[in-house]
Amino acid sequence: MLLQTEGLTKSFDGLTAIRNLDFSVAEGEIRGLIGPNGSGKSTLFNLISGIYQPDANSGRITFDGEDITDLSPHDIAARGVGRTFQLLRIFHEMTVLENLLVGHHHHVRYGILSASMGLGRVWSEERRIKERMQELLHFVGLADFAGMPASELSFGQRRMVALARAISMEPKLLMLDEPAAGLSPANVEELQTIIGLLRERRGMTIIIVEHILKVVIESCDTVTVLDHGEKIGEGTPGEIKDDHRVVEAYLGREMDDEEVRAALAE
Amino acid sequence: MTLIFEAVRRLNASFPPAPWLILVILFLPFPLLAANQYQIHLINVIFINIMLATGLNIVKGFCGQVTVGHVGLYAIGAYTSALVCIHFGVSFWIALPTAIIVTGLAGIIIGIPSFRLEGAYLALATLGLGESVRIFISATEFLGATFGISNIPYPEIGGIVFDLPSKIYYIIMPISLLGIFISVNILRSGIGRAFKAVRDDPVSAATSGVAVRKYKLIAFVFSAMYAGCAGSLYAHLVTYIHPDNFTILIMVTLLLMVVLGGLGHVGGSIIGAILVTLIYELTRPYPEYQMLVFGMAAVLIVIYMPKGIGGLIDRFLSTRKFIRLREDKADAAAD
Ligand SMILES: Nc1ncnc2c1ncn2[C@@H]1O[C@H](COP(=O)(O)OP(=O)(O)OP(=O)(O)O)[C@@H](O)[C@H]1O
Ligand SMILES: [Mg+2]
Repeated sequence: MLLQTEGLTKSFDGLTAIRNLDFSVAEGEIRGLIGPNGSGKSTLFNLISGIYQPDANSGRITFDGEDITDLSPHDIAARGVGRTFQLLRIFHEMTVLENLLVGHHHHVRYGILSASMGLGRVWSEERRIKERMQELLHFVGLADFAGMPASELSFGQRRMVALARAISMEPKLLMLDEPAAGLSPANVEELQTIIGLLRERRGMTIIIVEHILKVVIESCDTVTVLDHGEKIGEGTPGEIKDDHRVVEAYLGREMDDEEVRAALAE
Repeated sequence: MTLIFEAVRRLNASFPPAPWLILVILFLPFPLLAANQYQIHLINVIFINIMLATGLNIVKGFCGQVTVGHVGLYAIGAYTSALVCIHFGVSFWIALPTAIIVTGLAGIIIGIPSFRLEGAYLALATLGLGESVRIFISATEFLGATFGISNIPYPEIGGIVFDLPSKIYYIIMPISLLGIFISVNILRSGIGRAFKAVRDDPVSAATSGVAVRKYKLIAFVFSAMYAGCAGSLYAHLVTYIHPDNFTILIMVTLLLMVVLGGLGHVGGSIIGAILVTLIYELTRPYPEYQMLVFGMAAVLIVIYMPKGIGGLIDRFLSTRKFIRLREDKADAAAD
């Protein structure tokens, strides 16, 4: 298993957002993570990426064979965990290219001293990584926006910047928090293509939190369902769709086949 | 004009310090053009303030950490340099690096509150630290207390004593330009990007792999080293330092330089340093109003012109670029 949580619990004064969760993702998998609003999906991402600490003595997180429970976010990122945020959190005052360069931070090979003297080494390394990031921008369809401040882009484009910034880290595990929210159907399609290529060409393992069921069903191998911080189901998209407990938790009531199909077509 | 820019860009790419060396050479005849020593003294003060503003801009403008302790670091630089010369009899050339190192270490202390505090709280903490430096000096006999320290030696190279503003200029000007050169290099490298990421969003900076605390400290230490260097130069320029050289009024003046120039804009903070130094000199007869007016000006600029002069310059340049692009497109369409 690339990622594993055991007995993970996180509460916020009285409210338990994640309860005793065992969750694991195999290398090369594309995992869907669904559940109603407030079921703890984003909290789980925050725990894995080190922004939140689990409750005292309440669970461990292992990544790539190493216990990362007590590591700080940048150390976890350095080990190969990249993520996006539901509310983007891109660097608004920086250009699109700079956003990606920050994500690529760990792959930059020069020190403070050579940087401060502006040595030739620094310049050529900068040129190399900028070309690399330009290719990545091309890959996500933002090639023409490299020099633009991120704040001046449309919402859909900013979502792509957030995605590209996470990809620029060249992580082993990529966690996407509602990457399709607010995208046009054409852009959702493009996003799904990108996700597929990330696994195929770059061997990334991907976890997707998503409310748009089409993405979950078409792009994911396995789906985990959370409700009130607990895992209430796990299986292939087909199995999950047929699991009445899941459908109930997710939509608050049962759906007939017709409605499921309608939800899928969204 | 475009040709000159292009030439400078090429030169810079092949040998980065080249344009800066040319600048140093261009600035060499300055003292000959000045009417009197007072004018050259003012130019020296401007170069020192450029160092201070450049350093403050790194931590405040680029890394987004609101610090009001910079003037305390400036004082530490000045006093360290003066004291090692007077008590150990070393030359300015030992005192200057000593001052830079000691002040850099003090920068760690000013920077540590930024791990937990933000915005106004961080400002208060750093203000306290900066002020306590001045109060400590005023109360310590060894540091000259309220009498100050006099007879600080002038810099010397092989028997030549730099005892006039028109002479010490040749030390202050190149060091100041070297300071700008280093800050430009740092800020456009991955380190400068990490600073800006910490400023824009520390949480997503961290999940992008930026060690937030480490970069905050680097910014604080860097800016402290600038203050230490500026302090040392100042001490050996005026040869007499006093706690009153390092009051909150000076801090507000420094803030105004950076804010007027535009937070996070290197060129802007240089322009800010020049303008505010001149304004400070002109308003010297009215010290009771300086604090009020400078403070108000800083607040008004933050509210109504948050990007300062640097922002105006950027907007002007990008508008011109945009117009040129459009003209090019129109030409292409006409062909
Ligand atoms: N920092 C926090 N402080 C207090 N409560 C929090 C915090 N973060 C999350 N919670 C609570 O934890 C619960 C789970 O929230 P979380 O954001 O993980 O849900 P989610 O599954 O991502 O929901 P959504 O689909 O709306 O994004 C919610 O009740 C939320 O209010
Ligand atoms: Mg969420």
